[in-house]
This record gives sequence, C-alpha cells and structure tokens, in this order.
Amino acid sequence: MADRGPVRESEAVAAVDVAHAGGWPKETIVALVAFAVLWYIASLLLPPFVAPSWARIGKSLADIASKPEFIAITVGRVGFALVVSFLLGLVAAMAMYRWSVFERYFMPLVKMLMAVPVLCWILFAVLWFKDRELRIAFILIVVCAPIFVIDVLDGMHAVSRELRDMVRALRPSARQFFTKLILPATVPSILTSWKVNLSLAIRVVTMAELVGATSGIGYALMQANETFAVADVFAWTVVLVFILMLAQAVVTWIERRLLVWRD
Amino acid sequence: MDRDMQQASSPGPVASSVGTDAAQDFDIHVRGLRKVFRQKGSGAAVVAVERLDFAVRRGEVVAIVGKTGCGKSTFFNVLIGLEEPSEGRIEIGGRAPYGDFDFFRGRIGIIFQQDRLLPWRTLIENVTLGLEIIGMDPAAQRAEAERWLQRLGLEKFLRAFPNELSGGMRQRAALARAFAVNPEILLADEAFGHLDEVTAKQIRAQFFDMVRIERKTAILVTHQLEEAIDTADRLLVFGKPATLLADLRVKGLPPEELPGLRARIQSMIESNESAADG
Repeated sequence: MADRGPVRESEAVAAVDVAHAGGWPKETIVALVAFAVLWYIASLLLPPFVAPSWARIGKSLADIASKPEFIAITVGRVGFALVVSFLLGLVAAMAMYRWSVFERYFMPLVKMLMAVPVLCWILFAVLWFKDRELRIAFILIVVCAPIFVIDVLDGMHAVSRELRDMVRALRPSARQFFTKLILPATVPSILTSWKVNLSLAIRVVTMAELVGATSGIGYALMQANETFAVADVFAWTVVLVFILMLAQAVVTWIERRLLVWRD
Repeated sequence: MDRDMQQASSPGPVASSVGTDAAQDFDIHVRGLRKVFRQKGSGAAVVAVERLDFAVRRGEVVAIVGKTGCGKSTFFNVLIGLEEPSEGRIEIGGRAPYGDFDFFRGRIGIIFQQDRLLPWRTLIENVTLGLEIIGMDPAAQRAEAERWLQRLGLEKFLRAFPNELSGGMRQRAALARAFAVNPEILLADEAFGHLDEVTAKQIRAQFFDMVRIERKTAILVTHQLEEAIDTADRLLVFGKPATLLADLRVKGLPPEELPGLRARIQSMIESNESAADG
C-alpha cells in the first residue's frame, strides 16, 4: 500500500487526460446542459418569438442540416481569412522584430487599424469593393491581422534575455536564431492569438455577410429575420456557437500536442 | 536593427573546432579592457570593468573570483562577445570575440549561471542545438549528443523535457551542450552557484575532470573562493569595478599554504571594497 499514493495520482491524471482527449471537459458539458434546461423553462414561460422551444429550434436545425452549403461557405470564408491574416501578421511581426525602426513606424498604424469599429470597415468595404467575396475577406483580414501582429510580436519580445544570450553565444545565423529560438518560443502566443481570432472572426463574418452577401450564415440569418422565422434565427445562432466551440476544440487539441513540454 | 539579429547575421563557414585548428594558438589576451554603461534613467556613466590586463595560456584552468556585483558577469559577456568593449580589447587566438563574432562559432563553449535549456526541446535536442548551429550531419549530432549525455549519466533521460528534471540534471545537460561542440575554450559564469552544495560539488568535479581530460582552456567566473582554490591552476582576483587585484598561481601549492592564501585574498577583496565604498 506504500506506493498507492503515486498510483492514485497517476490514475487521476489519466482520468483528466481521457476527459480532455474525448472532447470537452466535464464542466463545459454541465454548463451547456444547464443552459439548455434554463432555455427550456424560458420557452414554457415566454412567447415563442422571444424564446422558441427546443422542438422548434430542432426542426430548424434539421432543415439547416439538410442543406449545409451555407455553413461550408461561412467556414471557408473564415478559414481562408484567418490563414491569410495569420501569414500577414507573422511576416509583419517578424519584420518588426528584426527592424526596430520598422516597428516604430508600423506599430502606430496597426493600433490605428485596431481602433476602427467593425461597422466602419463594413461600410468602407461596401464603398471600396464591388466583389462580395473580396468585401468579406477584406473585412475579416483587416480586423484579424492586427491582432496576430500584436500577439506574435509580443511573444517574440517576451523571449527571455537569458535564452537569447544563450543562443547568441552559440553564434547562430540570423535564420537559425529565428527558427531555433524565436519562432518556437512564440508558439504559445500564436495559439492564443488563434483562439481569440477564431471567436472574433465568427462574429465579424456574420456581420459582413449581412451586408450584400447572397450566401453564408449571415445571409441566412438576415433572411430568417425578414420572414420572422424566429426559430431559424436561434437555430443559426446555435450553429455559429457550435462551429466556434468545435474550432476552439481543434486549436486546444493542437495546443496540447505542440505544448506538451509545458505540462 | 536588433542587436540579436545583427550578431546572428551571416551563416558563415562551419567553424566547428572538431578535428580542426589543432595547432592554432587560442591564448586569451585581455589588454586595457574597460566597459562603461549608461544608466537608462539618468544617463549617468557606470564603470563595470576598469582597465583589465592579463593573459590565459592554452590549456590553463583559470578562476576569476570577486564579490557579487563587482562586474565579473559583465566581463564574462565581453569575453564571450555578447558585449562590445568600451576601450581596450580582448583577443582569442588574435581575433576579437565581438568583432569576429562568427569565427568563434563552435570554438567557445559556455555554461551560464542557470542551465538555460530550451524548455520545448528534449534533453537530447538541447544538446544537439550547438551541433545544429555548426552544421553537423544530423546522425552525427545525435550520436555526439548521446555520447555526452551518457558520459554525464543522463542516458535514461534523452527524451525528457527540462521541466521533468532536477536542477542538477539540467545543469549536467548544459555541460553536455557546451562540451558537445568540442570547443577550444570553455567559459563558465557562476555555473554551479545555484545548486545545493553536494550537487554543485559533484557537477563541478565532472566539469573539471572533462576539462582536463579533453585538454581545454577553461575560465570559471565565481564568487566562491573555496571553489576557485580547489579547482583552478590560477586565480585572478577582481576588485570593484572589475579590475585585477591579484594574479595568483595556485596549482602545485602545498596544502598548508592554502589557508594563508585564502585569508590574503579575502582581506584583499574586503579592503578594496572599503576603498570603493569610501
């Protein structure tokens, strides 16, 4: 029995790992079930245009599932824009890290971009671009890329002086210094930035699709609103939340594998 | 441009000393070295190193002793080429570690105050880091890293991450990283001071055994007088700011002379400190 303590500890760790590996942790599932129960109670007490029943929302979800192309279009737009935003953000952050003069001139512009409200970007996009896809991509990229720049650059600057001096003392080339120290050290910041931007992009793409798009979840939401199909509005909202949670789970899964050294 | 990137700017030739430059003179000459900093807030000049002159012959094991804060670590950073001298120069084999930065790739092995292992790399990947930088073939890198980790008793932990190991094990991995590139010169800055006494003694013994077996030149910066007397051939006693108070040969001294030497050095450092404070 003397070694029972460590065994029990490892069992506990394994149980937590299984819960995480299988999907969402227990607490998330409990919170979602509690929300569903509260919503059910609200649907019994309030009129259907305020809180439609789960049955009505379920029917709308079934309709959505039978023609999932709008979901695919929105997810495709978000995925494309986030990848482009990340690449632009990474290149800009690398340049700003390497040339401090560039950082001093470029950073105020990045901060200025971040201060512009999303609604203004939507209006600018309508004024500047005729192509609908270009408008949506522009809005998403101009909103998400600055966040990648800030987060990645902060991650690069946060590499400790001790580690920088240690690697410099080995006399690496500039490329080696970047690939062997700066980039790996920045991975946690990059993953955090992806999580933040996923949430932001899902919300922004819906707004962007409300204006001028003829496909996608935002467009479907607008149509449902115009036809007073309240259950459809809630169903699309559920879909958006589900997409976001799924995407966050994928990033968390990647994080666990890439940052195994932190555990 | 960021100084990190300026220094790490050109790939340069593969400069590993593995099997090369065997006959090259790697004596270290410090001539009229002075290092002055500007304080960020006030802009006032602070002298950290004041007119140092000494030489270290190839194969010598030298300890630099002095009180904490006397400028030893600043001198160390100038010596390894991370900082530029304000005046005077350091030459290793006739070249300046700061000016001829890339020349010393693979020729100087460094052990810092803390292990400074990269937390996302396993132990073996940490040891191969220097070998990757000098451009060694990946299979040879692995073999060399394994050999050194085995020599330091870490063969069971090749795939462990640094945070899974004790401080002593991590510092031994740092030794392996420094030795693996087969440098001409090994420089250690308070490398064992953060470990408990027993572990520090063991790792220090391993370090000096390997230095002597591999016939390396070694400079050990320390504030621990006992450590310096026990291990070095020669002691350089630093005052404050870093200036040479004494250059003493300790190798071969009869044991009965050591207590007197110890007392002399202590008194030398203390009177220098009183003069500096006064």
